[in-house]
Amino acid sequence: MQQRRILDEVTINRELLRGNLATPKWWLPTVLGLLVVVLFGFTLMGIMFNRGLGVTGLNRPVYWGLFITTFVFWVGISHAGIMISAILRLTQAEWRRPVTRAAELLTVFSLLTALFFPLIHAGRPWRIFYWITPFDFARGIFPNARSPLIWDPFAIGTYLTGSTLFLYVALLPDLGVLRDRTTGWKHSFYTVTSLGWRGNPRQWRLQTVAGILLSALMLPIFVSVHSIVSWDFAVTPSVEGWHSTIFAPYFVIGAVHSGVSAVVTMMALMRWLWGWDNYIRPEHFDALARLLIVVALGWMGFTFAELIFGVYSLEAPERALREMQMFTWPWNLLFITFFLTAFAIPVPLWFFKRVRNNIALMFWTSILVNIGMWLERFLIIVPGLSRKQPFVFTWDSYQVSPLEWGLLLWSFAWVLMLMLLFSKFFPLIPLFETKESQVFTTDIKIGRVNVPAVIRELD
Amino acid sequence: MAASNSVLGLYDSPDAGANAMDGLRSAGFALGTFDVLTGTPYPEGAFGEHVPQHRLFRFPFFGAMVGITLAILFTAGTQLAYPVITGGKPILAVFAMLIIAYELTMLGAVVATVVGIIFESRLPNLNLGAYDTRITEGYIGVVVECEDDRIEEARGVLQTAGALEIKTA
Amino acid sequence: MATSSLITDAPDNRPSNIEATATFAGEGRTAASRGLKMFMWILAAAGVLGLVGIAFRFIDDGGRQEWGYYAATLAFMLTMFGGAPMVAIAPTIAKANWARPAARIASLASIGTALTALLMIPLLFKLPALTEFSEVLGDDVRRRSVWFDSPNYAPHFWNILILLTLSLAGLALAYLMALPDLAAIRDHGNGWKQRWGERLARGFHGRPQQWTWLNMRIGVMGAFYFALLLYANFTFPIDLALSLVPGWKDAIFPFYNTLGSFQAGIAFTILGIWAARRWGGVARYVGHEQMWSLGKLLLATTLLWFYFFYSSFIVFWYGRSVPDLATIKLLVSGPYIYAFWGTFLLLFIAPWWVMIWNKVRDSVWGPPIAAVLVLTGLALDRIRIYVASWSAVPDNLELATTGVLEKMPETVWPDVFDIFIMIGLPASGLLGILLAVRLIPVISIWEIQQSRLISKPVRFLRGHALLVGKPD
Repeated sequence: MQQRRILDEVTINRELLRGNLATPKWWLPTVLGLLVVVLFGFTLMGIMFNRGLGVTGLNRPVYWGLFITTFVFWVGISHAGIMISAILRLTQAEWRRPVTRAAELLTVFSLLTALFFPLIHAGRPWRIFYWITPFDFARGIFPNARSPLIWDPFAIGTYLTGSTLFLYVALLPDLGVLRDRTTGWKHSFYTVTSLGWRGNPRQWRLQTVAGILLSALMLPIFVSVHSIVSWDFAVTPSVEGWHSTIFAPYFVIGAVHSGVSAVVTMMALMRWLWGWDNYIRPEHFDALARLLIVVALGWMGFTFAELIFGVYSLEAPERALREMQMFTWPWNLLFITFFLTAFAIPVPLWFFKRVRNNIALMFWTSILVNIGMWLERFLIIVPGLSRKQPFVFTWDSYQVSPLEWGLLLWSFAWVLMLMLLFSKFFPLIPLFETKESQVFTTDIKIGRVNVPAVIRELD
Repeated sequence: MAASNSVLGLYDSPDAGANAMDGLRSAGFALGTFDVLTGTPYPEGAFGEHVPQHRLFRFPFFGAMVGITLAILFTAGTQLAYPVITGGKPILAVFAMLIIAYELTMLGAVVATVVGIIFESRLPNLNLGAYDTRITEGYIGVVVECEDDRIEEARGVLQTAGALEIKTA
Repeated sequence: MATSSLITDAPDNRPSNIEATATFAGEGRTAASRGLKMFMWILAAAGVLGLVGIAFRFIDDGGRQEWGYYAATLAFMLTMFGGAPMVAIAPTIAKANWARPAARIASLASIGTALTALLMIPLLFKLPALTEFSEVLGDDVRRRSVWFDSPNYAPHFWNILILLTLSLAGLALAYLMALPDLAAIRDHGNGWKQRWGERLARGFHGRPQQWTWLNMRIGVMGAFYFALLLYANFTFPIDLALSLVPGWKDAIFPFYNTLGSFQAGIAFTILGIWAARRWGGVARYVGHEQMWSLGKLLLATTLLWFYFFYSSFIVFWYGRSVPDLATIKLLVSGPYIYAFWGTFLLLFIAPWWVMIWNKVRDSVWGPPIAAVLVLTGLALDRIRIYVASWSAVPDNLELATTGVLEKMPETVWPDVFDIFIMIGLPASGLLGILLAVRLIPVISIWEIQQSRLISKPVRFLRGHALLVGKPD
């Protein structure tokens, strides 16, 4: 299906800078509304620091609950950016172009959000510095580099720094455009941040090489991050259901599933809010849905293998855990909801072209996936902990407290607010990629038919 | 030394821009002294421009070396300085150190690459020289760096190719 | 400004369809050279030695542990020959044009898979039943396996079934992908080739509905093959390695094998292209572009090998439970430590170091070097895994059922018959492929033609570029 529009650069500038050069009417009220939720969340954190972790539902033996689930969830979402940006860039998929910036942005903001959760989960966040940084020379106490809880900050720190720099480098040409369209303090701001971008062949060449080289460097980081998060669980033999060698790729592909779905959600919102119908087209949703089908089937394969090997050892506790996870109230309700929302409802629907090209349906199915993926993390983390283990003398199921629900809500408001703030100052769809696409795509005539074609540079 | 100036010719079509580049080359302006400015990346060589060489690939190697060194210092240093055996693992547990070493190596490589991209793009350079904001609207700018005595000649060549406007800075 | 106005035609020196047909189906085809005939005789001789090896293995049967090298050889062949057709399938799905000239070499590897399936039959007699412990421990005690309470010979039945189905699907795919070329041989060839072309091409005359029919069949068969390959890489390694070792519980292991299969398939195709260029006179049709793209994929799979290996290793190493440590010892640091280090160097360090350089990847000689390293490393990897698994025969059955390997087996070194088997069986697979290439063109004529139709060299203003169509 050919939905490409021929647009000149003036139109592209005007339409894509809609949110930057003017303020849409809905923008301020929405941001203020989100700010209220965000402030409410920070208040809850304050209460928790003041009163202690007792205000949460965490209690022995379930010490990892909603906070850690939400941490894993947001790290998962952060896999959107590099999946879309790097893999599709390396495979030269033309349809990636309008999606890359939003996906990278989602990576940065969801990582920032994810970082909050282990910090507040520690109860006394400032003490985390003892774990991570070697500064206590006076007492000679240093971090334990053998602990997965130290690997995490290194992995996430690297991913966050790398993604932010990746985002910034790809912003340079667009900052140049903004510099040329603004006056006053904004002009000064963009002059400095665009570093004097002029658009000569050297700069464009470097921009292309940078895209490929940074993608190639970010991909191994992308894979390592969620693997390391998964090892927080997998390396310990003491909790049933966690000590599995498949966890690393299983977490990564699950993260891609939820991350790419989040990109779909975001693209639909962008199309509706800013009216970017010329840029975010049904064909992009179609392509993302095809990608999602592959990812979801792969992820299901890993889920299947994880379950099979869960019961493979024929050991009674492992079997009992799986039975509890899948068949015992209330876990069975969560399990069924997880399976329906993350896989059984959306994936068969995506097989239909009419669904793939229907933006509202894509929006809702992508939301379903992320409800399911949050539940998946919850089902991995909590049931294993709530079963009686050797040397555990009290055990109970875990009840999520209202405060924890409040902080889950906070995380969504926080990400959305950061996105909207970003959209005020920087373009959400990369202008130069859109313009490049105009230059690099055309038709090729084969007999009587015109086939969409792309121009490839010769090496 | 005569002062160096930049002269910019602005064109409304890529074809005219390419003609201007041809004109400058045949008028004997040295390669590397004239350049094309565009708001969009074009396929390499589209304007017959001088294809710039870069050394970007050296940067990640350098960054990776720095990263892995820091990682080894951090992991080995902290474990030796505070030697508590945990989980039955050796004090210098290579397979655990490897994970931190990997992350810091990659971090070093990425940071150095980004520094390299900026450096090799010859940025930051807030002095734009002869420039026109219409370049980011689809116009093609052809800019010549030359000494005072060749300004008129450059203007002539740019004009012949059909420049809409010529600016000097 | 519309891009079409900036583009002009550029001279096209790619071989035309007429040239390609003449070279591969018509007058241009030459008889096998003396060197090739000699090479095929050597392969045939090696194949006979392989059969001798199998026969003596049966005659001189000293128990399960002696069959490890045979199992490792079959695993290697399944990995390599089974994975190669994915190079023909996956890029087609992703609309990657570059793979077309390599698709034939990749798809013909199924001949090797078919041979692997046949050679699997003798091994089934040596694979223990799920109830191997029941004589001592009672009827309700079964070996750990992914078949749980299925009939006693479920692994035997399902594995041979899946290998035969995979081979049939692979051969059907190779045949479908060769159909238009067989028609070309029918129309332009002579002698026995023409007769076979006529027999095999049936009534294919390139009518639009025939092309639609063909493309749909190739698509369906490709997807079917992929699913079967995943299935084979799930059951074969679990039943013929993992479940033979008490206490080895490793959910990533089937995926590790699948990845190895892709890696070996890519390496096989790279070497096939190189050989076809070196001795088959096809340098104008296949080369730089395929090497560059396959080289990148080989590098990616090489990095992923380390990732998959480490993902399982770190869990065992960190967990440190008794089965965890026994698994590491058996597969990594114990009796097969040399095979492990060989694997590590040849399957990861060396190809990674070779392929990381743009200049090497961007050549027609670099990727084949990495491919040889990878295939050698992979052979060692299969030895490390399968020989170790077949040698882990439990002494204490009761402990074995609870997942404890109480005694670490000794290293099993190959004897002369194992060496016959390891050389002879893959050699006969290769011979089968070379025999097929005597009839079927080593480069797919119709895919070359399609490639020409949807891409052309152009001039973009003053520069040179390639225009590539992406039909739906």
